Amino acid sequence: MILDYLILALHSLRHRKLRSWLTVVGIIIGVAAIISLITVSRSLESTIQEQFEQFGANRILISAKGFQGPGTLSQSLTTKDVETIEKISGFEYVLPALFRNGEVKHRGETSFTLISGLPADSFEQFYADMGVELDQGRTIQEKEKYTAIIGSRVAKEMFSRDLSVGSKIIVNKGEFRVVGIVEEIGNAQDDNQITISLETAREIFNEPERVDTIIAQVKSTSDIPLLQEKIERELERKRRDTNFQVLTASQILEQINQVLGVMQVVLVGIAAISLLVGAIGIMNSMYTSVLERTKDIGIMKAIGARNSAISQIFLIESGLIGLGGGIMGVLLGTGLAFLLGSFSQQAGFLLIIKIEPMVLILGLLFAFVIGMVSGILPAYQASRLKPVDALRYE
Amino acid sequence: MTPLIKLENAHKIYHLEGVDVPAVNGLSFTIHQGDFVALMGPSGSGKSTAMNLVGCLDVTTIGAIYLGNQNTKNLSESDLAQIRGKKIGFIFQTFNLIPSLTALENVALPMLFQQVSRRQRLQKARKLLEMVGLANRWQHLPNQLSGGQRQRVAIARALVNDPEIILADEPTGNLDTKTGNEIIKLLQELHKQGKTIILVTHNPELTKQATKVIQLRDGKVVGG
Ligand SMILES: Nc1ncnc2c1ncn2[C@@H]1O[C@H](COP(=O)(O)OP(=O)(O)O)[C@@H](O)[C@H]1O
Ligand SMILES: [Mg+2]
Repeated sequence: MILDYLILALHSLRHRKLRSWLTVVGIIIGVAAIISLITVSRSLESTIQEQFEQFGANRILISAKGFQGPGTLSQSLTTKDVETIEKISGFEYVLPALFRNGEVKHRGETSFTLISGLPADSFEQFYADMGVELDQGRTIQEKEKYTAIIGSRVAKEMFSRDLSVGSKIIVNKGEFRVVGIVEEIGNAQDDNQITISLETAREIFNEPERVDTIIAQVKSTSDIPLLQEKIERELERKRRDTNFQVLTASQILEQINQVLGVMQVVLVGIAAISLLVGAIGIMNSMYTSVLERTKDIGIMKAIGARNSAISQIFLIESGLIGLGGGIMGVLLGTGLAFLLGSFSQQAGFLLIIKIEPMVLILGLLFAFVIGMVSGILPAYQASRLKPVDALRYE
Repeated sequence: MTPLIKLENAHKIYHLEGVDVPAVNGLSFTIHQGDFVALMGPSGSGKSTAMNLVGCLDVTTIGAIYLGNQNTKNLSESDLAQIRGKKIGFIFQTFNLIPSLTALENVALPMLFQQVSRRQRLQKARKLLEMVGLANRWQHLPNQLSGGQRQRVAIARALVNDPEIILADEPTGNLDTKTGNEIIKLLQELHKQGKTIILVTHNPELTKQATKVIQLRDGKVVGG
């Protein structure tokens, strides 16, 4: 019976004017917002999770306060701080890293990109721990100078001629030989990176002392909180300031999740408002529909339709309008999510959009229910019409 | 024998801007199974109001209407809908088809409200369309049909739940004489098959075929 009412409702929808469909715009926007929001934030979460798994839970990062990531200028960590941390036991290794934006030249073309410097004797192990795979060539060896490992985009896109193992590049006036090319990682920042040994980085950037980030690999994950505290205490004692921060993977994750949480609250608010507007739109359109079809209601009652049948038909109809808006919203939302994904990728942040069927189905169901709910009052009004009065309506 | 329909001092009073309009004003008559009633009277004499009361589309202000032994005054809206769906077939002057549905769907619709399966509905609706001579018009929408054809669709729809009573309120009022006569013939055919028919008409010719003539004036039976 419900199926038959559905067919009846479909019939009447087919005869409705385009204008009445415009009222679902709110539902479309609301559902699109929800779908894109959920998709993006879940994709973001899983991307970050994956990246941190790659990064490793066994790592503590020490950087100067205000240092927001590779590429920005840090205040002042030095090799002294590295020594301070190395004296604490419990680490597998402690790596000082230097990050600078550098000028890169190849056959007369110039480009700018992030240059990272890591101690030459630690490449092998660090790359293994990070899960970095080389597409071509090898890592930098101990004591080696003026060699570089380049990202896949540096090799393929940065210059009009592709670079390969053995190519020569000039970084800040120093000539480097490419010894390895990293497999494509998928985000612009990593793939555009050039990694050289810390020793050479100090020479070309003229930074004999400075360290941007200290990466401390712990032996056992369970020691992390304790070691973090120790690092903080020791650094504070030696440096006599607190111009540094000590971060663990889980803390960084927490921070990102906090930002995500705020973003979600804002977007949920927007989605809720547009859904409310959409619901009011559907309600309004259903009242119009009831009015337009007063005569039909009279006819149906005259041939035996009970009040419940009339209200069911109208409820299904408004549910279908909601569903229609939901379908468009899901499409729009999915498209939006992919768009955001590709924007963020262009901006250098890896975001792999994963479409979850369950989220889409829930979105549709939600839109259908909202449609139904907004149809309750109009449907009730329709069902209460007196048959004679409805029949007389022209 | 219990009459099929019995009106006892039925009143229907409309209130228009503080004035009481007694559309039906103390109406009493009985109709038996198998009757062909011609309900006559000048315009505004209360014929349609009386039909609506008999057909349970409306309820009396005062007085009672019995269908068989059932006093319709005591029934709920849902029960009245059941009676309209099962016992009564309406034929209106303005056809009253649903414009968004095809002829076949219009005819099948009353069965939907009686929980008949889709297959059975379509089967029955086809059969009835065939009976009224519209077998090849089943896909047409009402506005693609002539007046006479629309009224035939309405008749098929009125018959689809095998009602005992057919109420036809000026069914030929919007039709030319020839088409109107064909519709009347169809009603006479139904009467022969045993249906009880109440026909509102202005045509005195038809009183000859009727088993009973009721004349209304000012909401009352003339001479009653
Ligand atoms: N819904 C209504 N509201 C007010 N007056 C009505 C209504 N329906 C009918 N009437 C009045 O009741 C009287 C009888 O109407 P009706 O039964 O339609 O007469 P008939 O069908 O014999 O022409 C008329 O005076 C008409 O104006
Ligand atoms: Mg009338």
